[in-house]
Amino acid sequence: MKTARIKMLVIFVAAVLMMLLPVQTVQAAKPIVLGLPLSTAFLYGWAAERGVKLAVEEINAKGGVDVGGEKRPLAVEVIDTRDLEPGVPVSDALLAVEKLILDKKADFILGGPVRSEAALAAMSLLSKYKKVSILTTGVLTPAYHAQVAKNYDKFKYCFRIHGEAQNLVGEMFANFGELKKKYGFNNLFIIAQDVSHARGAAEVMESVAKKKGWNVTGVEIYPTGATDFSMGLLKAKKTKSEIINIWMDMPESAILLKQWYEMKLPALPFGSTLAAAEQPSFWKATDGQGEYTLCNVVNAGNAPSEATPWTMKFYNAYAKRWGVEPEGLGSSSSYMAVYVLRDAIESAGSLDSDKVVTALEKTDIMGVYGRLRFDPKSHQVIPALDPKDGAVGSILQWQNGKRVVVYPKSIATGEIKLPPWMKK
Amino acid sequence: MDILIYGTINSVALALYALGFAMVYGVSRLPNFAHGALYVLSGFITWTMLNSLGLPYIVSIVLTLIITGIIGAMIYQFVLIRVRGMEISEIIASYAIGLAILEGLRWGGFRGVNYTLPAFIAGSTNIAGISVDYQRLLVVAIGAAVVAVLWLFTHYTRIGLALRGMAQDERAAMMLGIDSDLMAVVAMGFGSMLAALAAILLLPLGNVVVEAGYNVLILAIAVCIVGGLGSWMGAVLAAFLIGFAQILTVVYLGAQYQMVVAIFAIILTLILKPSGIFGQQKELEERV
Repeated sequence: MKTARIKMLVIFVAAVLMMLLPVQTVQAAKPIVLGLPLSTAFLYGWAAERGVKLAVEEINAKGGVDVGGEKRPLAVEVIDTRDLEPGVPVSDALLAVEKLILDKKADFILGGPVRSEAALAAMSLLSKYKKVSILTTGVLTPAYHAQVAKNYDKFKYCFRIHGEAQNLVGEMFANFGELKKKYGFNNLFIIAQDVSHARGAAEVMESVAKKKGWNVTGVEIYPTGATDFSMGLLKAKKTKSEIINIWMDMPESAILLKQWYEMKLPALPFGSTLAAAEQPSFWKATDGQGEYTLCNVVNAGNAPSEATPWTMKFYNAYAKRWGVEPEGLGSSSSYMAVYVLRDAIESAGSLDSDKVVTALEKTDIMGVYGRLRFDPKSHQVIPALDPKDGAVGSILQWQNGKRVVVYPKSIATGEIKLPPWMKK
Repeated sequence: MDILIYGTINSVALALYALGFAMVYGVSRLPNFAHGALYVLSGFITWTMLNSLGLPYIVSIVLTLIITGIIGAMIYQFVLIRVRGMEISEIIASYAIGLAILEGLRWGGFRGVNYTLPAFIAGSTNIAGISVDYQRLLVVAIGAAVVAVLWLFTHYTRIGLALRGMAQDERAAMMLGIDSDLMAVVAMGFGSMLAALAAILLLPLGNVVVEAGYNVLILAIAVCIVGGLGSWMGAVLAAFLIGFAQILTVVYLGAQYQMVVAIFAIILTLILKPSGIFGQQKELEERV
């Protein structure tokens, strides 16, 4: 009787130990630290943080990352770079990146820095410490992947998994072309924020527009933090502009759109990195005055669509976890960066930077916004118009309180509408 | 015509930013570097009362003015009074308070485009073919009324006269029985209320963001330096000079240079006439 009781006890203890064993292994294993240098007070910062954390939670719940046979959990360290704020020097973002590497012992850098100037400056730092970095938000300057292509050996640790300005310009003109064909539009006014990517994009837009036969009626550059856009809008009105192309990521861009609505300006606001209009809360914040605003949210998944089977799965998981739908640039790309990195680590079987770089270059998965692959020379995610071929963008228009995806056609859920005061 | 209309609106906005700062400095020679933070704070207080507490707009506005006034008075009574007369310490202490308020708001989650205040009157009208929204016209009307009330207050009320007395000659005012610290508390309270009033009038034009605090402070300082530190009328005149200069810059040079105008005005004033247009401080030294 006593022997039977002892046997039962031994079996019970063994069963408990067996149940605990895999969990203990994951918990005991040293976490892989993902360092996130993000401007957390701004959409592109907090959206990226939420995207990364969601993916990390999902991966950890499944046991973590298999590194050469050992399951290791992911851990996240965030430092606020404040690089999207007016007047904050680039050096602050560099200090944040260095602190993540040296102090927080980050194994990989994900997310930012968010501002193009800061990300470009951080490239040498990443090269110095041989830290693999995947940009997932904010930075749109083509100079980033051009630098990698130009000096591969030095900058091979730098990747970007979201779209960049050249893609965005192409997507814009595809839509402008449609508007020209349908409504006879030909006058384009450009408004940009006084920051590197926006100024650069405005220059490219102006040059491409002229080559494509558009009449560029004006280019206005506003300082970060500007709160009055009346004179620029009046210029657009005087010059009979039909489209106002806006490149602004500051929250004050909501003021511009309110003023546009109040003036009933007969020009369609078509933005890119228009952070204010990307967010679901934009409608309430403008009392519906942002209706008809178009904006490029850079990648699918940042607005509702059925781009891939994973898109709405991610969309709903994000909304459930954070109590808000994916709000704009940085949400889906940051989420996918963690999965792409996990696959690369598992494929490399190690955290060694050079091995992970090689594995990342071989990435080929169907993600939230299409097939994800990096250009092996520039480390820029390969764009496409169809999610089967590559990473697709997403342009939305505010229609009756909803964010309706109007481009690309392969994932569109609606068509561009004109405000009543523009209908001919 | 558009330059005249929007130049006036911009100038009145600048005057509203600066009047509170000018009042505090004029009376107590105290540079209140928490001015921009109080502006933003009052925007968030109004928003919270309106949206979280569900109070009527007008009640929220009145309560915001009173609360911000009390906060300003407390800042003087509990902090700045201890460093009174030590100019560098006054700047550091008030700037630190401002920084604490702004960073505290950010830490508290007040970020993004969600924080907006409703316009008093929605819609727009055309003046000589130029579209202007009613809220901006209201800003001009109330701004002009504020300047008029301020003038009447400082010329025909006991407290107002005491404040002017302090502003003109603190020692003489004290000899006449005016309590210097009490007047400084009153000035900080009124100055903070003016910051709140500016916020309540101007923030419905856009959204309430923490970063605005720094811009408002820079603009208020620029206006006060050009107008002459401590001179309220100088501040109004300087607001029009800078306001129109900014609009002309936007029209003829480019919008990206509009913030440079304010900084350039500070530099130019400090080189040519450090006391500003109506300032009396250092005027004797300049003449010598």
